[in-house]
Amino acid sequence: MNELLLIVVIAGERIALRSGDVQSVIELDLLAPVPCAPDHVAGLSALRSRVLTVIDCQCALGLGMAPNREAGAPAAVIDHDGHAYALLLDGIRNVTEARSAPGPVRTRMGGNWAGMSHGMVETDEGPVLLLDVGTVIAGPREVRAA
Amino acid sequence: MDDLLADFLAETREMLEALGGELIAWEDDPSDRTRLDAIFRFFHTVKGNCGFFEFPRLEALSHAAEDALADVRADRRRADSALVSAVFAILDRIGDMADALEQGAELPDGGDEDLIAALEPDADVPAAFPLEFAGGDDDQHKAPSSQRSIRLPVELLDRVMSSVSDMVLARNELARRLRESSAEASVGEPFERLSSIIADVRDAMTRTRMQRIDSLFAGIPRLVRDLSAELGKQIMVDIDGGEVELDREMIEIIRNPLTHIIRNAVDHGIEGAAARVASGKRDMGLLSISARQSGNQIQIDIADDGRGIDDARLVEKAVAAGIVAAAQATRLSPRERTALIFEPGISTADTVTSISGRGVGMDVVRANIERVGGTIEVESTPGKGTRFSLRVPLTLTIIPALTVSIDGQRFAIPRSSIEEIARVGQDTLELSRVGGAMLARIRERRLPCLILADLLRMESGVEDEERTLIVLRLTGGELFALAVDRVHDHEELVVKPVAPAIISAGIYAGTTLTDDGTPILLLEATGLAKAGGLEFDTLERTTRQVATPEAAKAARTTPVLLFTGLDGKRKAMPMAVVVRLEEVAPGAVETDGVSMLVVIGERVLPLAGADLGPLPQDALRLFRLHDGQCEVAYAIGEALGIRQIQAEFLATDQSGDRDGVALIDGQPTSVIASYKLFARHGVRKAAGESLPVCLLPSDDPWIQNFVRPMVEAAGYDVVDEGSVDADLAITTEPAHGGKINARKVIRLRADPAEMPDEPESIYRYDQAGLLSALHLSRGRTCP
Repeated sequence: MNELLLIVVIAGERIALRSGDVQSVIELDLLAPVPCAPDHVAGLSALRSRVLTVIDCQCALGLGMAPNREAGAPAAVIDHDGHAYALLLDGIRNVTEARSAPGPVRTRMGGNWAGMSHGMVETDEGPVLLLDVGTVIAGPREVRAA
Repeated sequence: MDDLLADFLAETREMLEALGGELIAWEDDPSDRTRLDAIFRFFHTVKGNCGFFEFPRLEALSHAAEDALADVRADRRRADSALVSAVFAILDRIGDMADALEQGAELPDGGDEDLIAALEPDADVPAAFPLEFAGGDDDQHKAPSSQRSIRLPVELLDRVMSSVSDMVLARNELARRLRESSAEASVGEPFERLSSIIADVRDAMTRTRMQRIDSLFAGIPRLVRDLSAELGKQIMVDIDGGEVELDREMIEIIRNPLTHIIRNAVDHGIEGAAARVASGKRDMGLLSISARQSGNQIQIDIADDGRGIDDARLVEKAVAAGIVAAAQATRLSPRERTALIFEPGISTADTVTSISGRGVGMDVVRANIERVGGTIEVESTPGKGTRFSLRVPLTLTIIPALTVSIDGQRFAIPRSSIEEIARVGQDTLELSRVGGAMLARIRERRLPCLILADLLRMESGVEDEERTLIVLRLTGGELFALAVDRVHDHEELVVKPVAPAIISAGIYAGTTLTDDGTPILLLEATGLAKAGGLEFDTLERTTRQVATPEAAKAARTTPVLLFTGLDGKRKAMPMAVVVRLEEVAPGAVETDGVSMLVVIGERVLPLAGADLGPLPQDALRLFRLHDGQCEVAYAIGEALGIRQIQAEFLATDQSGDRDGVALIDGQPTSVIASYKLFARHGVRKAAGESLPVCLLPSDDPWIQNFVRPMVEAAGYDVVDEGSVDADLAITTEPAHGGKINARKVIRLRADPAEMPDEPESIYRYDQAGLLSALHLSRGRTCP
C-alpha cells in the first residue's frame, strides 16, 4: 500500500510529511514565546488543553526565521517522543500518495535539508522532499550540541 | 497489615500462575538454566516475604527448596526427576497454604517434613510423588476466592491520571468559554454536574495512586534488626505515621534515600552499648522514624540518639577536598557545617564497612530527593543525635506554585523553592548595583539579586524600584533574590514535562495551562541561578560576610500578634498592619445592614471579626489595622502577646486568598490574611455598586473560613441568615433540611462520592467546581 503524504509549504517549498505522523492541522490559537529557548522554538501554543511546542521549521532548516511566527499561523500537530509539537507552516496544500520509497537526492541542497529530510519521494505531482520530523524538532546541530 | 498480606498472597499466586508453564518446560529439560533461575527466584521471594509475615512453615518450605535449587545452580548437584517432583510438591503446597491463608482457614498440619526430606539428594521417593496432601480435597476448595484487588501496570495508571489531568484542563477551558458567553441556564446545570463528576474522578484517581507509607516503613524494623545484629548493637525502632499516604511513585523514589539514611544512622550514628553507657545514655539506641503530611508535602523525619555528626571533621574533609576554602570554612554556621555532609565525596567514617561509609551517598540521596522537588535537611547535636528531615511533594504532577509576570507574560515558580516575597520600596529592602551586578539587602541579609526580565532577555518597562523580589532557596539552602515585574497568585498547577528543546534552555521545569488556556512555563530556581551566573555552592556562604548566623535565622520569621477572636479561637495578626489596641463601648458598634461599623473617636471604621461571636457586654477590644491606605478595625476577645512565625506564612498574603494555619505555642492558630481583610472590608464603601447577594450560614465556620473568601472573590456580597432576597445560597444542609430563601442554592456535601438523592451537590473540597458554579450563577444574575 502506498503511503499517504501531507503536502505542506515550508520555507516557500513544497514538502511532504507522512500523514500518519500528523495528528491534525490547525491554525495556532495563540503563541506564547519561550524566552531563552533555541531560535527554532517559536513558542508554546495550546490545543484542547494540551500544550504544544511550536517549531519554526524554516529556522530549524537554517533558512532564517519564518515570517509568520504568530497566532493564526497554520501548523501541523505531531506527537514525537511523548511530547506534542506544532510544526509552523507557510501553508497546507493537499494529501497525496507516495509513488516511491524515499530516495537520495543527488544534488547539494541548501540549509540543513540534507540532514533533516528522509530523501525525495515521487508523487503524482512530481518529486517532493520528505521531512524528517525528529531532526527538525531537535533543531540545528549547534542547538543539539548545546 | 491486611493490605500487605493481600499483596503478598496476590503476588504469590501470580508468580505461581506464571511459573506454571516454566515448570513443565523445566521438567522436560532440568538443565535449562533460565527456567531454573525463574523457579529459584520464586522460592527466594516467597522466603523473603514469609520471614516478614512470620509464616514459619512457608518459610521452611521455600528455604529448603531454595537451598536445593541453589546447589543445582552451583553445579553441586544435578536436577533429576526426583528433585523436580519434590520441587513440584513444594510449589503445590505453597499454593495450598496461600489459599488457606486467604480464606483465613487453618493450615492442615504436618507433611512438610516429608516434602523437605524429599528434596535431599538421595531421598528415597517414588518417581511419581503424590501431589495430594493432607486435606487436599476437592477442586472447588482451590477455586480462587473473590477478587478483592487487582494488580495494574503503573503505566496504565499514569495514562489514566494524565487523561484526568487533561480532562480537568478541558473543563477549565469550557468553564471559561461558558463564562465569556454567559451561557444559558440550561447549560449551567449539566456543566456543574460534569464538574463535580470530573472532580470525583480526579480525586479517586489520585487516591488510586496513593499508597500508605506503611508499605515503605514495614521493612524498616527488619532492616535495622539485621544491621544491628551484624554490628553488635542494640537498637529500638520507633515508627510513627505509617498511615500517611503518598504517591506510589514517590514511595519508590524515597525508598533508597531512606534506606541509606537509616543505614548511616545505625552504622555511624548510634554507638555500641558500651560507648553509650560510658556517655551516660541507655545501652539501647533509639531510631525513630516518623511521617506526617503538611499541606502538599510529606515530611519524613529520621532521628537517632547517637553520637551526632562530627562537624569539625566534616569541615576538615571539605577543606581537604577543596569544597570550601579554609578561610570561608571558619565563617560557616553550625547548620552549614552539618550540611556539608551532602557534598559529594565526604564521609566522616574512617573505615569503610559493608554497610555504609564509602563516601558516596548523601550527595546522591540529596540529588534523588531534589529531583522530585523535595528537600532534605539535617540537624545534629554532638553527643545527642542526628535528625534528617525529608520533605517531598505528595504527587509528581500537581505542584503548588506562585505565578509572576514579566511584561504581561506569566511564569510560575514552585512554592517549594520560595523563601519569601518582598516588595522593593519597603524600609527593610534595598537594592544596589555593584560592578554591574545587583545586590539586594533584605533586613540583615545581603543577597545576590537577579532580574528575571534580564535573564529572560525580555523588555519590561518596570523600574527596579517597582519590582517585587522573590527570595528563592536553592536546594543546598543557598538564597538569592529574583526581581519580577508582578506577583499574581498562588495556584495548584497541573504540570506537564516540557519538550527537550525547551529543557535545553536550562531554566524551565515544566509547562502548564491556566484556566484561560494560556501556556505558562514553570521556572526552575537552580537553572535561574546558573543562568544568572551565580556561583552556586558559595552563594549563601559568602553572604556570611555581612550577616551573622543568628540574623539569618531570625530573618526567616516574622512577628505576629497572638489573640483570641470573639469565637474564642486562637488567631494571629501580622504585626506589620496592627496600629494599636483600642477599647470601645458596645454601643459604638453599628451595622448598616450588610457590614459592621465601629465608631472610634470621630472616625467610623469598618469592623471585621465581630461576626464571629456575640459582642461582649462591657467593653469591646479591637485592633486598629492600617495597610497604608485605609483603616479597618478587628474585634478580638483577648490579646495574648507577640510571637514569631515562619515568614512564608505571610508571604501568601501578598495575594493570598485564605487564612493559613500555623502552630504557635504548639496550638493550631489561624493566621489572618490581612490582605484579604482589607480587600473585603476596606474598599466596600467606595465601590457602592450593587453586587449579587449570596447567603451563607453564619454558624458554619467551615463555610465562613473557606467558602466565604471564594464567594467574595467571585464578586458576591455575603449576607447571613435571615436576610431576604439572596441571589444565591450556599449550604451544607441536605436538601430536605429546610426551605432556603434564595433564587439558587448550591449544596456542598462532605462525601467526595456523589449522593444519589442530591445529584447536583458539589463536594466541599472541589474548589474548581464551586468556583465555576459561582461564576455561572453570577453570569445569570447579572446578564
